[in-house]
Amino acid sequence: MSSHFTPPQPVENDIRNFGRWFEDRLPIASFIGDHLGKYPTPRNLNYMWNFGSLAGIALILQIITGLFLAMHYKGDIHLAFDSVQTIMRDIEWGWVIRNMHMVGASFFFIVVYIHIGRGLYFGSYKSPREVLWGLGIVIFLLMMATAFMGYVLPWGQMSYWGATVITNLLSVIPFVGPDIVIWLWGGYSVGDPTLSRFYAIHFVLPFVIVGVVILHIWALHLHKSNNPLGIDLKKADDYIPFHPYYTIKDIFGLGVYLIPFTFMVFFAPDYLGHPDNYIPANPLVTPAHIVPEWYFLPFYAILRAIPIKELGVLAMFGSILILFVLPWLDRSPVRSARFRPLYKQLFWLFVVNFLILGWVGAKPAEGMYVTIAQICTALYFGFFALLPVLAKVEKPRPLPATL
Amino acid sequence: MIRMMMVGLALLAPAAWAGEGAALPHKDWGFEGVRATWDKDELYRGYTVATQVCMACHSFKYVSHRDLMRVGFTESEVQTLAKALNMDMNAKLKTGMDDATAKETFGKVPPDLSLMNRARPGGADYTYALMHGYSDDSATIVKYLPGGVPQGAYFNTYYPGHAIAMANPLSGPGLVTYHDGKEATVDQMAHDVSVFMQWTAEPERMDRQAWGVYVLIYLFIFTVLAYLTKRVIWKDVKKH
Ligand code: HEC
Ligand code: HEM
Repeated sequence: MSSHFTPPQPVENDIRNFGRWFEDRLPIASFIGDHLGKYPTPRNLNYMWNFGSLAGIALILQIITGLFLAMHYKGDIHLAFDSVQTIMRDIEWGWVIRNMHMVGASFFFIVVYIHIGRGLYFGSYKSPREVLWGLGIVIFLLMMATAFMGYVLPWGQMSYWGATVITNLLSVIPFVGPDIVIWLWGGYSVGDPTLSRFYAIHFVLPFVIVGVVILHIWALHLHKSNNPLGIDLKKADDYIPFHPYYTIKDIFGLGVYLIPFTFMVFFAPDYLGHPDNYIPANPLVTPAHIVPEWYFLPFYAILRAIPIKELGVLAMFGSILILFVLPWLDRSPVRSARFRPLYKQLFWLFVVNFLILGWVGAKPAEGMYVTIAQICTALYFGFFALLPVLAKVEKPRPLPATL
Repeated sequence: MIRMMMVGLALLAPAAWAGEGAALPHKDWGFEGVRATWDKDELYRGYTVATQVCMACHSFKYVSHRDLMRVGFTESEVQTLAKALNMDMNAKLKTGMDDATAKETFGKVPPDLSLMNRARPGGADYTYALMHGYSDDSATIVKYLPGGVPQGAYFNTYYPGHAIAMANPLSGPGLVTYHDGKEATVDQMAHDVSVFMQWTAEPERMDRQAWGVYVLIYLFIFTVLAYLTKRVIWKDVKKH
């Protein structure tokens, strides 16, 4: 071991050449240069590869707008609802900040769903990127926790009842479930202690996400990005430096993203929300339909599809956790769906099925809707069950040797 | 473009939250569309109905007289209006009825109206329809409420469940006298108060839309320039 060790080299001590001087002491500029500027990127990436950097920008926007909201928001059940109205009415630009945060959460999920779909289609989860993929699922889970608690903060009817329904799910845990729920609430129902702790957690989780994002990018930069062909690129000229090629492409992508985002912020801020959340929380009045935010609907549909509560909860969490083992379920050595005729069809079936789950998740759990949800839940898990078999029966199209 | 996007959104609109009440007729409101504005006279009339009729029972706790200055009322106008109600111009518009009395009289406390148009699917369309939804016609009532109207409630076509604890507040024409001499028909009052409630629900609406146009134009130019720059930079990259 010690033979690999090189003792620290002497460096100049001339502070007048400040850049050099600082770099010799903390090489942060070259670190950023290597990982942003010079990062070797496959030259054949398509626009599906824009969504990673978009997700990063969406996260930063949430943190900035969240910070400004936090300066005026009050995490107390008697003040929370009114404090949001103060932000909307009396704080300069408060309505822009809040609309950006509200619409931003939805758009963050749109971006991340597409980002995950991209990985699914082009086989980006396969070796050697399993850990990179797993970290992505961790980010997704943390985002869901963050958004769920964020939605409780305005303390409207859906905040209150959504929180009640979802936290109650944990009561199915054998023996300790009910105690865990009481511990989580800080009382015998969702109340002031719940709101204060959700606020604290909602504030801190995004920074945890930033940490996991750094690991995610670290893992990415070790083996470099996958590409639409899904083949390993071995030639140096298959790669181009991130800057300026992908910086400008990402800036263009950002513009395309910001147009519908801005449209929603300024012209339809409530479109993705629920009117009931403008009614102050009232523990005595249950809304006719309790629906979570749209980005939870597919998983909510899986939860309600199964009449046995315990199994429903398991299926709901399982539907996300199963993504962790996807790299081992899919045995095909070919990454990109472009060369996998059967997988490609299955993928699109999975996407359509997922959208139907989202649609049925917003419907009351009765009659036809339950049946549809059950079929779609079976298909959802069926996709994963089929993957090991698929690798055996599918004949992949020949892979190009190089770009 | 904005109108097209709006129509697109409307077509996509999740029907999930309609339900319960009857389908709402849509009215063309002055605060909607490309030429959207707050009409000061309309708001003034709506304010008159709101303060002289609705505020007997309801509050508008998020707005004060001073807020009216944001939509073109002068300070002296606002001062006069507040004084006529024996109110300070900075005080929120709260009803004189206390919760206990309300509960005794109606069985429930009338909800605050300032956010109402955001808290119901349909917004102003809902409020307007609700004001027109009362009926004594037994055939209509039986259609919606085969068991009859419960004690202490009133039939309303558009209220979810059709039995509302509020008696028809706009029971006949001429309940108020308008500043501009307009005839206070039931329809006029229903229209004006719905517009006023839209304003109390989202006073930022016009600022929002005005800024939105500029931001969208800016972003559009930004995106086109970014695209052209991207083309130039990528010119030398080998196609695969
Ligand atoms: C005599 C007292 C009284 C007056 C005057 C009154 N209301 Fe009400 N209002 C009530 C009560 C009580 C309720 C609760 C009804 C219920 O939930 O069953 C209510 C409820 C409402 C609702 C909510 C309905 C819903 O969907 O929950 C609206 C909107 C409303 N009133 C509008 C108005 C408007 C506009 C006026 C003035 C034109 C007005 N009210 C005047 C007593 C009144
Ligand atoms: C992963 C990033 C984040 C997501 C997905 C997210 C999501 C949400 C959501 C869905 C809401 C409810 C919006 C509403 O209906 O009003 C909300 C509210 C809020 N968030 Fe966040 N948030 C994020 C980051 C942050 C951060 C970093 C902070 C603070 C530094 C913050 C502070 C707040 C505050 C104060 C509210 C309550 C005000 C309001 O409801 O408008 N958020 N968040």
